[in-house]
Amino acid sequence: MGGSAVSVRGLWKRFGEQVAVGGIDLELPAGRFIGLVGPNGAGKTTTLSMVTGLLRPDQGSVEVVGHDVWRDPVEVKARIGVLPEGLRLFERLSGRELLAYTGRLRGLPGAEVDRRATQLLDVLDLAGAQHKLVVDYSTGMRKKTGLAAALLHNPEVLFLDEPFEGVDPVSAQTIRGVLERYTASGATVVFSSHVMELVESLCDWVAVMAAGRIRAHGPIAEVRGEAPSLQRAFLELVGADSRDVGSDLDWLGGGSR
Amino acid sequence: MSAPAALTPVFVRLKLSLLRNGLRQSGGRKAAYIASAVVALLFAALQLLGLIALRGSDHVESLVVLLVAVLGLGWAVMPLFFPGGDETLDPTRLVMLPLRPGPLVRALLAASLVGIGPLFTLCLLAGSVIAVAHGGAAFAVGVLAVVLALLVCVALARAVAAANVRLLTSRKGRDLAVLSGLVIAVGAQLVNFGAQRLGSSGLEQLDPAADVVRWIPPASAVGAVHSAGEGAYGVALAQLALSAAALAGLVAWWSRLLTRLMTSPDGSTLQAAGDSAAVRDRTSTGLARLLPPGRTGTAMERSLRYIRRDPKTKAAWVTSLAIGLIVPLFNAWQGTGSVYFACFAAGMLGIQMYNQFGQDTSAFWMVAMTISSGRDAYVELRARALALLLITLPYVALVTVLTAAVLGDWHRLAEALGLSFALLGAMLATGAWTSARFPYSIPQEGYKNVAPGQVGLAWISIFGGMVAAAVLCVPVIALTIWLNVSAGGEGRLWLLLPAGTAYGAALTHLGLRLAAPRTARRLPEILAAVSKG
Repeated sequence: MGGSAVSVRGLWKRFGEQVAVGGIDLELPAGRFIGLVGPNGAGKTTTLSMVTGLLRPDQGSVEVVGHDVWRDPVEVKARIGVLPEGLRLFERLSGRELLAYTGRLRGLPGAEVDRRATQLLDVLDLAGAQHKLVVDYSTGMRKKTGLAAALLHNPEVLFLDEPFEGVDPVSAQTIRGVLERYTASGATVVFSSHVMELVESLCDWVAVMAAGRIRAHGPIAEVRGEAPSLQRAFLELVGADSRDVGSDLDWLGGGSR
Repeated sequence: MSAPAALTPVFVRLKLSLLRNGLRQSGGRKAAYIASAVVALLFAALQLLGLIALRGSDHVESLVVLLVAVLGLGWAVMPLFFPGGDETLDPTRLVMLPLRPGPLVRALLAASLVGIGPLFTLCLLAGSVIAVAHGGAAFAVGVLAVVLALLVCVALARAVAAANVRLLTSRKGRDLAVLSGLVIAVGAQLVNFGAQRLGSSGLEQLDPAADVVRWIPPASAVGAVHSAGEGAYGVALAQLALSAAALAGLVAWWSRLLTRLMTSPDGSTLQAAGDSAAVRDRTSTGLARLLPPGRTGTAMERSLRYIRRDPKTKAAWVTSLAIGLIVPLFNAWQGTGSVYFACFAAGMLGIQMYNQFGQDTSAFWMVAMTISSGRDAYVELRARALALLLITLPYVALVTVLTAAVLGDWHRLAEALGLSFALLGAMLATGAWTSARFPYSIPQEGYKNVAPGQVGLAWISIFGGMVAAAVLCVPVIALTIWLNVSAGGEGRLWLLLPAGTAYGAALTHLGLRLAAPRTARRLPEILAAVSKG
């Protein structure tokens, strides 16, 4: 493939006094499994929202597969799939109805939508619950339904905000399998997480965010550098010393009350 | 380990803290909290004064007994519709604490007596006793009656809440709570209707009902006061005993429920997975086949499904449908109406077009991701308007025909229909435009319909929109007046039907055309506005 899937230049977003994203420049290579990592409040969700056109940046530009997100939404929206964090689905539809709805809004032919939906529901282990309302789903089932809705139109780039948050190990493994198969075909996945072990085992390329800025980016081995694990490298990058809690809480443990 | 603290003061203090914390919210909520407390207290005071003023009038005992019965009923259903109102109502929150049911029941009962609701009840009960008590013995019984009745009310609410805690903490329970506004609206209509009938024919109408109700706790306690005043001490004693027995029974029942709740595992998630009935697959059945293909049919189908399945949307629709029918028809029956009142239905139903994207909540992102041009936005908005018309158009016609039939005013049917359709068109047009210009969040939990901080936005949207819709209808109204007053105009009044319909359709089209590019341009801003709360 080569080239960049996403190209971000000078991206800024402020909420009142607070700078959520403070000038990001980033080129995400196409055809990779990309992790956007950082602690809570680093600006990951804000960045992904701006990149996918769900939030208007104060400054800066975003191009996805060569098309400007804000000037050329027709080209961009057809080529990306999104699973945002903290936004609802249409919960009063059943899982199957939600997929049928999304696919048809995307302009796919009805029969094709139904065929793909059946396969996705099967692969994601949702077939048994497909006629239940999404409002009655567990977190893992919601994430899988959201993933299916994002994949339905076979996008070139998939953006997932914390896809494994609150998901049980079985569902996580299912999601993982689907994503690995999807990237193997040359598509790009960009996902955010604060679980380093997960990122380390899944991604081949990472961008580390902290306090609204990119601290490091590149192939995972490069970012890890000399550190024994991505976790250690990350803690050094964001400057989090391991605080000593030994002297406090001296009453904790030992059986006496 | 220190000696276990007495439970009752702890729970009373907890309840007081919860009440006080109502004051520690953001500006708008705090104001609403204080305002509702003040209104409740004012209402209680007025009620007290009113009941005292009624003292000595004929048949007041019937009124009082029924009032207390209604009050008891209110306490029984309250936990079902306002489960969020009292956090100490949910005993499952206490499961992890090592508590025995006996002291717990006493403590929770004492805590229940703290609050605006019990204070309101106390005022009403005191007023009732003063209204019917004659003589020292009656007042002595009255004091006992107030205490008994209040305890019965509170224990009733607690027991009902404990019996339904599985329901209250489930999704279905929360759905039920959303319908509370509807219950209040319908209840207010019934009270209004009842009061009008009483006003015209006097309190003695109540006597037959009161003869039964005064034996039902907690009303029997107040019945005892009246009996004591009449000198029927045996009857009074029996009525008091009934209330006391009811109290004992309720406390015993509640205590058993508490023990069971706190010792059995919470199966709510298992249950939800097991017995929640699956929605049948309707993707290729019935209505769906009649809808047009593409975005139009897809968006229409979802809108129609939400009317049926989303409790907030359903409540709004049922209220609009009910009030849109009741106002013109009741006025027609009472002989005060005119066939023009039927336009009310169009106005009420047209409101459903307002804040379209707020009705989606933050799920609007799914729509936003598929709108990449003004054309997409136009088709989306038009589909929502069409879904609305599918119900509204026949309904408005039906209400107009019914109103005309009740009034026997058939020769005005055509012009009333024309006016209704023009108004409906204007409402759809302004609704589409304000949906794009002034979107606001509708919180999914509780009975609020506007997120805190967006009340101003909602008022601008709805009232500004309605005024604009009325102004847009001026040409049709003017034409109606002109045809009515001009010589020979009477014969051409039927022209208003096609003219009003065409005008309404043109307005809707124009409104959608104006709203669509704005929607497409402002997708992120609309999403941000509807995701609050």
